[in-house]
Amino acid sequence: MSCITDILVIDDDKDLVESMRIILESRQYGVRVAYNGKQGYEKIEAKIPDMIILDVMMATDTDGFDLAYKLKHQIEYRNIPIIMATSFPQKMAEEGSEKFQHILGESWPISHFIEKPIDPEDLLIVMEKILTEHKMEMNQS
Amino acid sequence: MQPGYVLVKEQLFFRKELIERLPWLIRLRWAVVVFGFAGCGASYLFWQWLPLPLLVLLSGVFCYNLLFLFIWRRLSPFKSQGVHPDSDSSFIRAQDVLRFNIFAHTQISLDLLALCVAIWYSGGVCSPLALFVIFHIILTGILLQPLSCYLYGVLVLLALGGLLWLQQGVHSPIFPLWYQHVILPHDGNSVANDFIGIVRYATLVTAVLITAFLVTTLKLSLRTKGRELLRLSKALDASNTKLTALYDMVKEMGMSMESKALMDSATRRAAGIMGVKACSIKLLDEQHKKLRFASTYGLSEDYIKSKESIDIQKSPINRKIIDGAVYAIGHIEERDYFAYPEDIWKEGIASLICLPLRVEKRILGVFCVYSDADASFTESDVRFFALMADLTAMEIEKLNTQLNRIWFLQKAAHQLRSPLHAVISMLKILQKGYLGEMNVKQEETVQRSEKRLELLDSLVKDLLSLSIRRTALNPDALHRVQVPEVLRVLSGLFESQAREKTIDITFHIDENLPPVMATDRLLDDLFTNLISNALKYTPPGGKVTVCLACAEEGGIRLEVTDTGIGIPEQDFSRLFSEFYRAENAKDFTETGTGLGLVIVKEILDQLKGAISVSSRIGEGSTFVCRLP
Repeated sequence: MSCITDILVIDDDKDLVESMRIILESRQYGVRVAYNGKQGYEKIEAKIPDMIILDVMMATDTDGFDLAYKLKHQIEYRNIPIIMATSFPQKMAEEGSEKFQHILGESWPISHFIEKPIDPEDLLIVMEKILTEHKMEMNQS
Repeated sequence: MQPGYVLVKEQLFFRKELIERLPWLIRLRWAVVVFGFAGCGASYLFWQWLPLPLLVLLSGVFCYNLLFLFIWRRLSPFKSQGVHPDSDSSFIRAQDVLRFNIFAHTQISLDLLALCVAIWYSGGVCSPLALFVIFHIILTGILLQPLSCYLYGVLVLLALGGLLWLQQGVHSPIFPLWYQHVILPHDGNSVANDFIGIVRYATLVTAVLITAFLVTTLKLSLRTKGRELLRLSKALDASNTKLTALYDMVKEMGMSMESKALMDSATRRAAGIMGVKACSIKLLDEQHKKLRFASTYGLSEDYIKSKESIDIQKSPINRKIIDGAVYAIGHIEERDYFAYPEDIWKEGIASLICLPLRVEKRILGVFCVYSDADASFTESDVRFFALMADLTAMEIEKLNTQLNRIWFLQKAAHQLRSPLHAVISMLKILQKGYLGEMNVKQEETVQRSEKRLELLDSLVKDLLSLSIRRTALNPDALHRVQVPEVLRVLSGLFESQAREKTIDITFHIDENLPPVMATDRLLDDLFTNLISNALKYTPPGGKVTVCLACAEEGGIRLEVTDTGIGIPEQDFSRLFSEFYRAENAKDFTETGTGLGLVIVKEILDQLKGAISVSSRIGEGSTFVCRLP
């Protein structure tokens, strides 16, 4: 992958963010970071990333979901692929607790769900796959 | 009017009749006095003979009847309440009943005594007045207990028997029997005979008319009582139906695991039970400043949108409801409490009840039912709806508490797991050489650290799963699930895990298996824990077999067999205890939380299934589960 591929990592855990930076930069990805949904949105407004790796619970319990849905409702940002990384068991997050009820019924704004702890190889494989698919979709349209 | 069950419970239903009938006696007595005096007058007019004893007797009756009238007016509970006895707001106290009983006994006793005296003075047992004893006994039977009726009957018969003995005995009559003495001729005077015939005929006429009056009055009274009982019975049936429906509603709400589903169930059921067009629940926001529709049934989208967010400060009716008031409005008119009554008319709402959803002193929101008919709700409807609202509020609060507990557990687990994940991620980076090559010792240390942290992570995950399962008041709502489909979805994951460990895993799934009452999530957890355990404790090159077939006793049989390390027999009894791992399991692998089989057992308990184990050390184990 070209090193100009810009990945925005949004997570409130600085250690985890640093781990992901190491993994991604080893593969020549450009990495920007943000530590909550608001900061992440500002970074997106400044420059649209090629992909977002997004945590769920940051400033609020649903910070990650709120940002994902906000992006999906804006034309200029709705096509950015999003990988959601969370410590929640995937099933629990997908089925949704009461806090996540507002998302049910709408189309899922996430390209892929990845459960922490993140395996570097798994993450890279998923990222490559999604970026390739996304590029093909953009070329077709 | 007191509720029927209270009246029946305290036998006041019957005592009420006594109190209502007592004035009868007084009125009948006036008639007797009037006719008696008229008879005496006629006797003097036509035969110039005044039956003095009878006059004295009639005067006595007049006097005690006047006394009884005075007493009745003092005693009457309805008079003091200022209501008609048949009015809905009349009631009887238990202490009134004794006084009226005594009053009735006194009247009847005096009447029977007076009648006996009249019979004595009018020919003894041959007197036509003897027929009137029957009416008195009938009246006694209507007013008093059966025992009293028989007692008075026996007393009167004894009295008349005594009189007969006096008449026909060896003793001469003590008092002149003026009837015989004056009227009955010894020489067969035909005029006197005619007179006797007329008297007897007149007595018979009177007797027949009084009988007819008593019988028809009694019949009408019985019919009225019958109609009243029928009405009460119908009302009771209606109440039973409503209460059964309310029970079903509460049961359905109790099964809900989501607030929206609970409230939708409440509004739908409430509309059905109350027989109304629509129903709604509005909840207060966290600042207690606005009300928003949380659930509606039967209301149009336009109406809901127009009232999407109600500022309480700008809505007097909602403000008062939040303060605890109940509003039952029979006619929606402009001068009423609504800022925009035209919205309500347009919706076709003619009357409504709104009341607070309250748990102890906290108001959660407002519960409303809407009818398209004017004055649709009675007081009883309002009380019933208030009960429904209280139960709904309790269920909402219960669910919120449970969901908050579950959410707390999830957040706590998340907070525990986040730093773990960060550390594991950093160790993986080290291990995979992202920060340079490590020597063997460093690599081994990093690996061991990673394993211990992954174990801790699994433990937290399993504890969370177990805690949520045990916290949930309402187990997952079970439905029919095709078990093979769930297993097929997971089989790919298990095959992948087996490949990594070079274990041969095979699945045998019978066709046409019956569905079981479960949920996908429960079955998922069941298979994951059982099959992951089998893979975990089977060394490389081993075999795991998963079979799904019909059970002989009905339902489904799941069998998971491995060629792993086996389980020591002495550990069988503790296999399903929290955190327990057999010694050979700990020696074989450090990974394992000791919660997997606990989760399996709890799932099977929830599904009303069963599990059995057989195992040999060094040869492997077989777990057999039955799902009904």
